[in-house]
Amino acid sequence: MPAVVPTARRRSGLRISKRALPYVLSLPALLVCIGILVPFFAAVLYSFQRYRLSQPWNRQYNWGENYLNFFTDPGFWNTLRVSLVYAGSTVVLELLLGLGIALLLQKRTRLNNFISIMLLMPLMTAPALAALMWKLMTNPGFGVLSYLAGLVGLQDFRWASSPSTALFTVVLVDIWVYTPFIMILLLAGLRSLPTQPFEAAALDGVPRSFVFFRITLPMLMPYILTATLFRLLDSIQQFDIIYAMTQGGPGDTLTVFQVEAYLNFFQSTNVGRSAALLMILWVITYFLSFVFIKNWLRLRERARGEA
Amino acid sequence: MYEKEKGLIDAFVRQQVDRRELLRRLGAMGITAGAAGTLLNLAQTRAWAADFDWMAHKGKKLKLLLNKHPYADAMIANLQAFKDLTGMDVTYDVFPEDVYFDKVTAALSSGSSEYDAFMTGAYMTWTYGPAGWVTDLNEWIKDPAKTNPNYAWDDFLPGVRKSCAWNGKPGGELGSDDAKQWCIPWGFEQNNITYNKTMFDKVGATVPGNLDELLTTAAKLTKDVGGGVYGIGVRGSRSWATIHPGFLSAYANFEQKDLNVSADGKLSAAMNTPESKEFHKKWVQMIQESGPKNWSTYTWYQVGTDLGAGASAMIYDADILGYFMNGGDNKMAGQLAYAAFKANPAAKAPTPNIWIWSLAMSSYAKDKDATWYFIQWASGLDHAIFGATKMDFVNPVRQAVWKEEAFRDKLNKSYPGYVDMFDVSAPGASIKFTAQPLFFDLTTEWAATLQKMVAKEVPVDEGLDALAQSIDGQLKEAGLG
Amino acid sequence: MEHTSLIERILRGIALALVVVFFMFPLLWIFLMSFQTNETILSIPPQLFFTPTLQNYTALITGKLTSAAGTLDIAFMRNLWNSVFLSVTSVAVSLLLGVPAAYAFARHKFRGSEDIAFTLLSFRFAPPLLVLLPLTLYFQQLGLANTYFGLVWVYQLICLPLILWIVRGYFEDISADVEYAYRIAGHSWFATFRKIALPLAGPGIAAAGLLAFIFAWNNFVFALVLASADKQPVTVGALAFVTASGIQYGQIAAAIVLSIAPTLALALYAQRYLVEGLSLGAVKG
Repeated sequence: MPAVVPTARRRSGLRISKRALPYVLSLPALLVCIGILVPFFAAVLYSFQRYRLSQPWNRQYNWGENYLNFFTDPGFWNTLRVSLVYAGSTVVLELLLGLGIALLLQKRTRLNNFISIMLLMPLMTAPALAALMWKLMTNPGFGVLSYLAGLVGLQDFRWASSPSTALFTVVLVDIWVYTPFIMILLLAGLRSLPTQPFEAAALDGVPRSFVFFRITLPMLMPYILTATLFRLLDSIQQFDIIYAMTQGGPGDTLTVFQVEAYLNFFQSTNVGRSAALLMILWVITYFLSFVFIKNWLRLRERARGEA
Repeated sequence: MYEKEKGLIDAFVRQQVDRRELLRRLGAMGITAGAAGTLLNLAQTRAWAADFDWMAHKGKKLKLLLNKHPYADAMIANLQAFKDLTGMDVTYDVFPEDVYFDKVTAALSSGSSEYDAFMTGAYMTWTYGPAGWVTDLNEWIKDPAKTNPNYAWDDFLPGVRKSCAWNGKPGGELGSDDAKQWCIPWGFEQNNITYNKTMFDKVGATVPGNLDELLTTAAKLTKDVGGGVYGIGVRGSRSWATIHPGFLSAYANFEQKDLNVSADGKLSAAMNTPESKEFHKKWVQMIQESGPKNWSTYTWYQVGTDLGAGASAMIYDADILGYFMNGGDNKMAGQLAYAAFKANPAAKAPTPNIWIWSLAMSSYAKDKDATWYFIQWASGLDHAIFGATKMDFVNPVRQAVWKEEAFRDKLNKSYPGYVDMFDVSAPGASIKFTAQPLFFDLTTEWAATLQKMVAKEVPVDEGLDALAQSIDGQLKEAGLG
Repeated sequence: MEHTSLIERILRGIALALVVVFFMFPLLWIFLMSFQTNETILSIPPQLFFTPTLQNYTALITGKLTSAAGTLDIAFMRNLWNSVFLSVTSVAVSLLLGVPAAYAFARHKFRGSEDIAFTLLSFRFAPPLLVLLPLTLYFQQLGLANTYFGLVWVYQLICLPLILWIVRGYFEDISADVEYAYRIAGHSWFATFRKIALPLAGPGIAAAGLLAFIFAWNNFVFALVLASADKQPVTVGALAFVTASGIQYGQIAAAIVLSIAPTLALALYAQRYLVEGLSLGAVKG
């Protein structure tokens, strides 16, 4: 892997402590996380039980039944579909928008730096509070957005309260909150790119579109992957925004995994189903992060090989 | 049981935080401070001399879990009186209602002994009771050694008291002989109509007398009042809270039920009868024509705020919500009026479903006898009168408070029609749901179905059949159907 | 890249203006709202001109809220303090644990290092509720329920993987040669780490810490479920203005403004670290 390994062997006197050192350094972090994750195994067990808090006498292992029931449960398929659509649309839109903004702000001017910090403000607004804000803004009575929509002829635009626009509204809020996250990562990436390839391309008179697609984008790829990874995995687990805005409604429009699981646990006290839902979500996220990180590592090595 | 003057002084006497106010009032009645002090001490001695040892748990500590609500505010305002009376120390956590019940579930399901008593609704005890999280309070109520002789359990409105008692059998009748008293009613709400009198007068509308009239009146208001005002506010969020107020009250008035209970105790969905479908159609039409634009996000708060701000002309919701909106800094304060509502023209009287804020004792309470001291004080007559006359502790669950002149005067003066409304609908007021552990599954799904109907995603008939089928499936799966 | 036509510059300007409006307008609106009374907020149509009032902020800061139901006590400042304490402590602990681990992963390829690194990162992606729900039970048994200690521990799930991931990439991008030179000069491993590696990675660590701080500050559900009222952060505290006797919109707005202010101040202070710190390849690896 990286070039550091051979040098480590040079000084044999340090070998023993050297071998132990990395474990000593990384162990505390690992222990702290694992300690927190012990309950995770309890959740695995719950997901294999018929377990409702309100019917303790009924609690028993039913093994895969919670999972098998999902196959015939339209509610589950709806949850899966909505979660994927939500995650997919937020990530794609945020990536495009974030990249666009980062390109606009690429040059290091005082104004650009100022704007980039200003644009971080939505990221600093807690999603739970951001949802509250947008709820106020889309209130049909005094909400400023409803008022503006009314001015352009959309008197009946109902934002989060109509099934046809609810997804649009929560995606909008998600974009508002999280695009700055992608923007700042990509901006950091753009500004750290080496200048020589671009100067050479400019000298040769290479078209700008070619430069963008053949030089900028590939070099930016590791940043894009990192940003996408963090966003995608957060987005498929979205809870705060959707729960605060619609509790999964109207109808079953927005019953994404965590919202459904939360309602299952806290309202229906159906622990078994809640745990099984979350296990499926966990499998999805684990799989996605696995694929991403493998690609990320490969990409990184290629980048180093070329460098 | 209370003569007026003595009663008032008695009611005031334990609230030493409000001593100045009492002296001021007595002063206004021509009684000097010195004489007032004597009166106070007299009454105090009388209360303390009652044949009950309030100091039995002196020095103990209790912790409460409370919802942010005027009832809790009234209790906190009066809490010093309890501390003085018993020598106990009481602390509390207050959580906003949006997250309150989740907080309760989290605390109880983990077996936390942090909280000794907490606020709850009767519906919630259908989960908490069978789960073993709350204690049957009959043991204390019926023990004269533990309950003060003036507690007067019989003074509680019978329908309300029974609604908090359940034998734990799915479908079991509330308040049956073998019922367990899972919680003590504290304050409750009936669902009726609160309307903006100014707006009604402006367009010449009259108070609707049944569901059809409600639809036409609401439509007329939406059309004629102007300024974006809509006709009727009802809740619509994806939650049990959408089903239980006006909706279920009107539904029950047509003698419709949520579930059928068979002779052998099996439950089955009952919301897809022809009558129910007819009712749902009208309800959905009402929201489409005259409801708030973003109805599907409406909870208690939005329904109330719109009425208070003059954005809606009437609500079919909790009477006390209308009560709150008629005071404070609400724009429409002083312009609201109240009426009992009977949805079914053929029905004899209104049948409001009720919500009861109650006090329950955690099974994990550190000292249950001491906790009961708090509960019996907080649900006792003195505190009820204090809260009803000086704070917004309405609707009282004790008949004696409703007989209290000071309280009736306060209502009649500033809340036109409230007392009449209460008197008309109270006899028919009770919980109209079937008590069973899947309450929240059923009501959440019902609300989601209503949302789909209002959004025209599914026709009413079809939606109700699908709902009934789904509910039946869940009941079977849980071993109840 | 330097030669941009006038039209392009105009278009860029317009695009940038639109972006700024989209991201700033909601905050501006909330900011204005925080200086209004409930009555002016609720007026239809929305009013452009109003007499500003400081009553919302006074209410939050003094902890006395006057509403329809009389005077209520609110604990917003306490919530704010909890947020500061929880976020700062969590990030500090994460840095303490995460930076050495990140260094280990970057500098020493050891058996299972990639697996351990991946495992640590994957914790970031376990659905929070999956952990949280059983955790309420375990915390009760361990006596950690409703303690700052327990909360800071849980917050590690948010902060630690993020710091680990970013700082590791940063270390890997810095050439190890300086460190070896220093080691060969006879200095201990620890001295090398402290005097050479840490200062070099400074901007990356600052940027990671800042991002972790933001995520910790914004967390809602952990504290909600695990802590009692006196340990709740602002994200939960802001809900307290939704009361049964009415929604205090003005105070909600003021609460949002106050809850953004500390992170914004921190970001402004540390701005050069944020962009530059992430630039040096930290996230690229």
